[in-house]
Amino acid sequence: MSSAVLHLDEVSKTFALAKGRELTAVDKVSFEVERNSIVVLLGPSGCGKSTVLRMIAGLETPTGGAITLGETPVTGPGRDRGMVFQAYTSFDWLSVRRNVEFGMKINGVPAAERRERAEHFIRLVGLSKFLDAYPSQLSGGMRQRVAIARTLANGPELLLMDEPFGALDAETRWQMQELMIDVAEQAQTGMIIVTHDIEEAIFLADKIVFLSAHPGRVKEEIIPAFKSGGRIRSKEELVQTPGYAELERKIMRLMREEGQHE
Amino acid sequence: MRHPSPHKPRFLEVRRPVSRRQAVLSAIAIWVLFFGIWLIASESGMVNPLLVPSPVQVFETTWNLFVDRGFIGDIGISVWRVVLAFAMASALSVPLGVMMGTFPAIEAIFAPFVSAWRYLPAPSFIPILLMWFGTGEAPKLALLFLGVVFFLITLVMDHTKTVRKELIETALTLGANRKVTVLNVVLPAVLPEIVTAMRQMLAMTWTYLVIAEIVASTTGIGAMMMRARRFLKTDEILSGIIVIGALGLLFDLLFKAAHRWLFPYLQEKR
Ligand SMILES: Nc1ncnc2c1ncn2[C@@H]1O[C@H](COP(=O)(O)OP(=O)(O)OP(=O)(O)O)[C@@H](O)[C@H]1O
Ligand SMILES: [Mg+2]
Repeated sequence: MSSAVLHLDEVSKTFALAKGRELTAVDKVSFEVERNSIVVLLGPSGCGKSTVLRMIAGLETPTGGAITLGETPVTGPGRDRGMVFQAYTSFDWLSVRRNVEFGMKINGVPAAERRERAEHFIRLVGLSKFLDAYPSQLSGGMRQRVAIARTLANGPELLLMDEPFGALDAETRWQMQELMIDVAEQAQTGMIIVTHDIEEAIFLADKIVFLSAHPGRVKEEIIPAFKSGGRIRSKEELVQTPGYAELERKIMRLMREEGQHE
Repeated sequence: MRHPSPHKPRFLEVRRPVSRRQAVLSAIAIWVLFFGIWLIASESGMVNPLLVPSPVQVFETTWNLFVDRGFIGDIGISVWRVVLAFAMASALSVPLGVMMGTFPAIEAIFAPFVSAWRYLPAPSFIPILLMWFGTGEAPKLALLFLGVVFFLITLVMDHTKTVRKELIETALTLGANRKVTVLNVVLPAVLPEIVTAMRQMLAMTWTYLVIAEIVASTTGIGAMMMRARRFLKTDEILSGIIVIGALGLLFDLLFKAAHRWLFPYLQEKR
């Protein structure tokens, strides 16, 4: 038995379009996610990253292949795979605390435990001062942190994130990326993060799954070798690490190649 | 040439909010103007006082109607009809509209039915309603109900459809089942829109009330106005109109207050 929590085995997705036409967005994609590891899905726009993530979440049904979590085939959405979207998903009618408690509440976690866990994860994402604020009083980055805390507090085996920081300014983005490294260590959760930002991918990933476009296929699996001593905790450190620049160039080359096909 | 100072905004500024003071003064001004024109026209003899009595006389009549003639009873009956019919229409429309906006299978069943009824003017049912229900309260309540229910269902459904897909998907990936998704995410997300839609539809209920009372009633504000017409009492008719307007305004304010009270998190933004 491997230590992987999630297996994708030749997963495909063909969308039926109007007038009987079809579009194969994802073609026989296979990869694994090791326990507590961060996998980044990287690739040019339209290569099927979101579609792969949505199939893992159970929000979209594959037209071929199989996805298994542990030993169980994925057949629909469930609390073991929490998802954070690029668009804000805060429940505006609930305070930050109640937003974070939401998942636990509907899953029957007792009130006292709920409260404690919510406070723990709100502290982890640095929002303790805003426990009783409503989402409309928060900035975009803060709302995204609420969404992350809400998902983590629900105790998923896997955290799925689709360009979670895409709408944020550069500085907030770095903060959030560094936060995700902390969170991964402390919450002991595996993560799959979709991005098309190369630097973000290298910083966060234990493994990068690079997809090529039309149809979406795994072009290459890249493991940032220079991280073998453990994850890097800050962006400054990352850019100075030997091997970083080389890897960035390599991925840029892959991106270029993909761009030329179009 | 002097340039307009940046600190002194002109009267007309594109989308620039007005102060509270200016809002109140403007509101008073337009009404003063209205009553002023009315007063001058009637007092100067420009119009037949039998057809357009002066505002002073109308207010005196309104006062007398309340004090001596038991007008409050008519008003009570009218308000009761509106509230009861509207409550029944809402009790059906809100759950059905939310279900139709959430589940396309339910929309597929009811939407063709509801849209067809929406295009039938409710007053066209008055003759048949009178034959079915006689002259009691039932035909009036039925008219008010029919007049708003199909619009309210459609509005609630449309608003429910605008609940963002990501909110629903977030709930699903947090482990929500269908019931939790509808009750704990979709419903609270559209509730502010539903209350606003109800506020708009309540105004429509008042319209149908007056029609019902004018056509087929011996009680209520509309019936009072029809009685007054028979005796050429234009002042009483105008009293009725003013009272209906005031009641409409009052209900509108109540709904707005309820909206603020129910959804405090929306106020923070504004
Ligand atoms: N529901 C759908 N129906 C039809 N086609 C779809 C649907 N969802 C996605 N597609 C198509 O599948 C392909 C992959 O889309 P997807 O959103 O997964 O790409 P992506 O890699 O996430 O792109 P981006 O980086 O721009 O977000 C695209 O060509 C898209 O048009
Ligand atoms: Mg995408």
